Amino acid sequence: MNKVDTTTSPRVIKNFFSQTIVLAQRSLVSELRQLATVLPGLLFPLLLAFTYTEQFERVLSLPGFPEVDSFLDFLLPATVLQMVSFGASNSGTELALDIENGFMDRLLASPVARVPVLIGRVGGSALLAGIKTVIIVLVFLADGAQIASGFAGFLVLTLSACLLVVVIGGLSQILAIRSGSQEVVGATFPLIFVMIFMSSAFFPTELMSGWFKQLAEFNPMTWIIDPLRRLMIVGWSWSDAATALGILLLGSVLITGASVRTLHKKLGRP
Amino acid sequence: MKTVIETRDLVRKFGEIVAVDGIDLAVSEGEVFGFLGPNGAGKSTAIRMLTTLLHPTSGEIYVSGFNVVTEAADVRKVIGVALQDAAIDPLMTANELIRLQAVLHGISRSEAKERGGELLERVGLSGAATRRVSTYSGGMRRRLDLALSLIHEPRILFLDEPTTGLDPTSREALWDEVKRLNTELGTTVFLTTQYLEEADQLAHRIAIIDAGRIAREGIPKELKENISSPTLRVDVEETDLVQAQAVLDSFGDRRPAREGRAAVGLDGGAARLAEVIRALDEAGISVEHLELDAPSLDDVFADATGRRLEGVEEENE
Repeated sequence: MNKVDTTTSPRVIKNFFSQTIVLAQRSLVSELRQLATVLPGLLFPLLLAFTYTEQFERVLSLPGFPEVDSFLDFLLPATVLQMVSFGASNSGTELALDIENGFMDRLLASPVARVPVLIGRVGGSALLAGIKTVIIVLVFLADGAQIASGFAGFLVLTLSACLLVVVIGGLSQILAIRSGSQEVVGATFPLIFVMIFMSSAFFPTELMSGWFKQLAEFNPMTWIIDPLRRLMIVGWSWSDAATALGILLLGSVLITGASVRTLHKKLGRP
Repeated sequence: MKTVIETRDLVRKFGEIVAVDGIDLAVSEGEVFGFLGPNGAGKSTAIRMLTTLLHPTSGEIYVSGFNVVTEAADVRKVIGVALQDAAIDPLMTANELIRLQAVLHGISRSEAKERGGELLERVGLSGAATRRVSTYSGGMRRRLDLALSLIHEPRILFLDEPTTGLDPTSREALWDEVKRLNTELGTTVFLTTQYLEEADQLAHRIAIIDAGRIAREGIPKELKENISSPTLRVDVEETDLVQAQAVLDSFGDRRPAREGRAAVGLDGGAARLAEVIRALDEAGISVEHLELDAPSLDDVFADATGRRLEGVEEENE
């Protein structure tokens, strides 16, 4: 019987990367070819941000509200994360579609590792989220918003958006693999949307009270939004940057690991 | 000849349901092997296990000498797979899909371009290479699917119901391509089908699968010859049906038939046709339609399973 070479050769690694890239490319291209599904994810958060800014301009004078020139400065991280929440479950629904129509089988029956199949999908969405973050920031800047930590803070914000896509996208992929149904994955979108509302995204936790305050403080979205916001409105801080990116990176690694395991399990014995 | 696909007591259960129930198979190099059976017989489950997409509950599978469970990565390098419904991303073009498939198989960009061009030419899609797949017809998708499964020049090709839902012209075009692959390149082909004609046209050897088990296996011609007598089918008034069948029963073994029809394996063949008609006439039965068919794969199927494959779809509708 033929023996298998299981050593990790440079060729294997090269294939791994080129497979991930080509799959990410496919995911990005197919999202861009469905602009009707991409644009609302960009427009709605922006619309919401400007509506809130007009409506809540006066909350800035509340005692305890962080010092900002405009509510817009305060909202930038929330708007970016909201944009992400719109797009991120796409990688799950697209994966579910791939499973439903059998494209997934084509991938799995070829000598491609399981990891590129999953991170390629999410990678494309993450890239798109990066592009959309740049657009949102540009619109905010054009409207007078400022980033106190400058370009470094902008980079952290963009990277955070990409990583959050990996986290949410990974979760939706787990659901997609388990259910194999687009509808199931799509139905979880409101959950993430609500999670953002139940965090410090649109209002500082210091000004909340009771159970809602506790819930918001317990909400991982708050853990990410607070340091990001300090970067936007206070200034550069290594610890804030590390907190936001660290939490997201840890989440990304854990969830990607879990989704790969879920896929293995799905393919495994009953 | 070298065995390139082999299964030993292959079983797959989904909960309580046994989809594949102890299948032993051996397919030789260069052979076109047909897996014939109705919907739900276990064909797709079997082909998914053979192509590493599903682990067996028990039993062993070797493809090209590799164990499909423990050496799945090696199996995937030597097989080409085109599964049911031509799963192709409709938003992409044929060229893009060819490139994607090539990268998945670790083929260089220049090689992919050259080979992809040849393959699209071969399946008659050169003119549509830059069009999105969403604009393709069913037949074009199948042909693209076939081209994609061939990009890495696999020695073994798995086709799951390659022509289901295709019009007769597209079906024949695909058959021709599969035949050419087999005769010109010596590619071993394992295909599942629910079409008797497809199995007859393409397969050197077939296995009839029913309820997860192999009901019969062999060379189509020999299988047909083993069903000795031709089938006589008689359409009569519904009120005469029971009596007509009773008359036919005296001429041979009863054969399964569509509702409203009597059938028998006519011992002695066509020479006794006049005798049958006389007997029916004497019994006062007026015959509406009568046909005598040389044994077909459908007869083999009926003989093996007690049911008919042909016409099942129409009757279900």
